Amino acid sequence: MEVPRTTPELVAEPVPRAAPAAAHRPWRPQSSGLRWLMLGPALLVILATVIYPLVTSFITSFRDWRLINSPTPGPYVGVSNYTRAFTDAGFLNSLGVSGLYTLISVTLTLLTGLAIALILAKPTPLNVFARTLLIFPFAVAPILKGYSWRFMLNPEYGVYAKMIGEVFPPLKGYVWLGHEFSALVSIAMSEIWGWAPLFALMFIGALGAIPAETTEAAKMDGATSFQIFRRITLPLLAPVIYIVALLKIISAFKMFDQVAIMTGGGPGDSTQTLYYFVYQVAFRNLDLGYASAVSYLLVAIMAVIATFYVRTLMRGD
Amino acid sequence: MRRPPEPGVVLRRRLAQTGEVIATLAVIFFVAFPLVWMILAAFKNQIDVYSTRLLFTPILSNFRAIFADPILLGSHVWVSALVSFLTVAITIPLAAAASYVLARHRFRGRDTLFLLILITQFVPAVVVAIPFFTLFRTLNLIDTPWALIIVYLSFTLPYAIWMLRGFFDALPVEIEEASFIDGCNELQTLRHVTLPLVMPGLLVAAVFAFISAWNEFFFALILTRSNSLTLPVAIQTISGPRGPMWEQVAAAGMLVMVPILIMSLFIRKYFVEGITVGAVK
Repeated sequence: MEVPRTTPELVAEPVPRAAPAAAHRPWRPQSSGLRWLMLGPALLVILATVIYPLVTSFITSFRDWRLINSPTPGPYVGVSNYTRAFTDAGFLNSLGVSGLYTLISVTLTLLTGLAIALILAKPTPLNVFARTLLIFPFAVAPILKGYSWRFMLNPEYGVYAKMIGEVFPPLKGYVWLGHEFSALVSIAMSEIWGWAPLFALMFIGALGAIPAETTEAAKMDGATSFQIFRRITLPLLAPVIYIVALLKIISAFKMFDQVAIMTGGGPGDSTQTLYYFVYQVAFRNLDLGYASAVSYLLVAIMAVIATFYVRTLMRGD
Repeated sequence: MRRPPEPGVVLRRRLAQTGEVIATLAVIFFVAFPLVWMILAAFKNQIDVYSTRLLFTPILSNFRAIFADPILLGSHVWVSALVSFLTVAITIPLAAAASYVLARHRFRGRDTLFLLILITQFVPAVVVAIPFFTLFRTLNLIDTPWALIIVYLSFTLPYAIWMLRGFFDALPVEIEEASFIDGCNELQTLRHVTLPLVMPGLLVAAVFAFISAWNEFFFALILTRSNSLTLPVAIQTISGPRGPMWEQVAAAGMLVMVPILIMSLFIRKYFVEGITVGAVK
């Protein structure tokens, strides 16, 4: 089975290259001068564009710095920016919104991706044609995903809103982006549309690696399709599911673009994701100290998810 | 000799086949319809865009309109192109050199270094955005393409190093060793043997870096005001009193979308793998 290169196993333990079994002459040139000459520029850029801002942000998170009051950083205030977050209704709300959004979008994307993969699993000509379409949605700019769903869900002229209204008359004229829960689901829809086909591509790859004899033997023994799916397909897909779930969870916690395009955080603050909240605090309220602290809380959340995930996966092996 | 199947079996098989075809058509609808609908909207007039009828007379005036109005997209296409091309032009040589060393040389701390480069992919953009925002204010770089290029390197470079290392790893070492035996030094081998062989990888990494710079919205929103808006941010300015002017938004959206869709077709083979390397950003 083809496992993408970012598998957490790789993170935990980089693959040993060039198995020592081969007794041929080893790789010769090992000029360390050339080595650092070639690595240097890239490392400098990473240092300047990732490490520098990370460190600066961390320091800023312990200071009081409202850009409206002063162009230079204010005094150190200890951890008060962090403690402030946990009494701030806005932050707690965005934490909840991001949590709920992650739950909805990850679950639905996985289910949709799995469904698409199972539908397209058989290599009929029509299915093969459909598979070629699967790479498109992900490549579409997130803001366009936002625009197209906002357009199609408009209660007056949106084509999806109208279709839904035809099938479920009670939903005729429903303002999808105007109600708290459905606004969040609508944002999730734009992401499900973007990601589920990609997941399906990965699942199809994994499904292709399941030997046909396995399922045939199970069928001979009288297993139902559901049993085959539950006992054979799903366990074999599990590693891929873990990987894509991790990617999706992380991307869900970074949801920003579609919120900005579709709802602006509303109605009320019901779609104010963590990312959007930090954006508001930093670039609307210009409260940089507090924004840095909240962004570090986001880093902490991601670190926990990633670690937990790697552990789960390694135990599974 | 095979007996012909009973009519009931045939019927059931037919039904199952029909069901499969319908399911596939549903998938095609789900995946393609939003794209098709946006593309159609780009060719509609103001009245047709607010109707859900399928038949309409296609027009091209939306494209004329977005280019004619200077505050709309005319200049922003160039900003987007400049930012994306320069990001790629800086990313690829630096990443190629670094990933070659990480793949072929052995030295203490190599794996740690590589792991650190991977971890940078998990850093949320907001954390990076705040210090750059203040730094660029001090340096007067806000609203210039340079600000965006510098920030975009923070995700294109680690990600390209990741991808390219995979391509270098996939090359058999023996080819390069043969070149050493023929008397080439390491730089000659790199130039005449290794780099040409890894060319598809360079192309794939370049396309991914281009896509991520071209589609980027968050940094562009924060670090630009008016002069150097990129397309994704500039699209927001296409709005009338009743919200976005959909026919023009769709036309501009096509400008953003079509080059990327074409590029993604070219690198289809590597698409999934590439995204799993880069999607965490």
